[in-house]
Amino acid sequence: MNCKKVRRLLPLMAGSEIPKSKILALKTHLEECPKCRQEYDSYNLSLEKTKEWLAKDRKDWEDNEWKQALRRAIKDKKPEVSPPVSWPFKKVWAYSFIGMLVVALTLLFIIRPSITQKNMGLGSEKFTQEQAQLFRRSPEESEQEVVSMTLVSKETGLKIVWFLNKNFELEVKE
Amino acid sequence: MKSEDELVEDVLSGDHRAFELLLQPYRQGLLSMAYRMTGNLEEAKEVCQEALIKVYRYLRRFKKGRSFKSWIYRITVNSAYDSLRKKKKDEYLVESQKKIDFSAGHDPEKQLLNREIKAKIETCLQNLSPKEKATFLLRDGEGFSIQEASEILECSSISIRTHLSRARKKIREQFEKINFADAKEVRR
Repeated sequence: MNCKKVRRLLPLMAGSEIPKSKILALKTHLEECPKCRQEYDSYNLSLEKTKEWLAKDRKDWEDNEWKQALRRAIKDKKPEVSPPVSWPFKKVWAYSFIGMLVVALTLLFIIRPSITQKNMGLGSEKFTQEQAQLFRRSPEESEQEVVSMTLVSKETGLKIVWFLNKNFELEVKE
Repeated sequence: MKSEDELVEDVLSGDHRAFELLLQPYRQGLLSMAYRMTGNLEEAKEVCQEALIKVYRYLRRFKKGRSFKSWIYRITVNSAYDSLRKKKKDEYLVESQKKIDFSAGHDPEKQLLNREIKAKIETCLQNLSPKEKATFLLRDGEGFSIQEASEILECSSISIRTHLSRARKKIREQFEKINFADAKEVRR
């Protein structure tokens, strides 16, 4: 163990918070290095003096003050009846969930155009079959005598089909 | 002699006397902690009052089997943080620290050892950040373990070790500085 590492651990060693595995190496170094030993003694002295003073100079309430403080704490208040339900998950889980949700939505947004094209796009298989069925309902009519116009909304998928005869007059179809 | 959990039950069932019994062992510790955090006795009493109100109000949230001492210290430390934040105490502390430094040099009673040590340690503590101070006071002042201190301050034990290490380093440096300054004065 070098001096730099030892000096980093000295504040904790002064308070006996060093793992047992490191103590032996530290003690060996302190026996060999007078500068580190001096620093360690200095930590011990300052800590000892401070602890001593903190123990000696403790503040206390006057009895009537203490009782008054307790009365104030109790006065006009009752302990909460129902504790609020604490969040059962860790924050990390919440953030991971939000992250996954964002990724899923992004993927959906990227994939979506192909889905919509499949369901509503002009020239799609579904649309052609429906259109053919409409023509099949009136076999007596000649295909050349009827023209159809179809409008499809890309946003809503709403379809409007107009049938026009050879004179371009609108025909009503069931 | 009733256990703390039993006393908590009594308080929750409306026994006000039990509340006093429950807090009696900590009255000195809580006030001392608040005083060291704020640096002012009156303010420390206000912090403690705030903490007592919270303890009583949220007593039902206390989980049985856990340390009541750690719980009330956490409430007190958080109240002290709030107080420091509200009054921009950090700035005030710097000012009061300057006052201490100045007064210590001209105090006729400086000769008295206790007063001298008191002034030195006060100065050392004032130089710590609120988190370092809280960690140092809990571990070295109140004798909590690293684990307990990490529960009270709601941070990892690694973080506690880091703050504690920094606090002790600063205190040692301040100690050396003051000793050095005193030695100079003596030489003159």
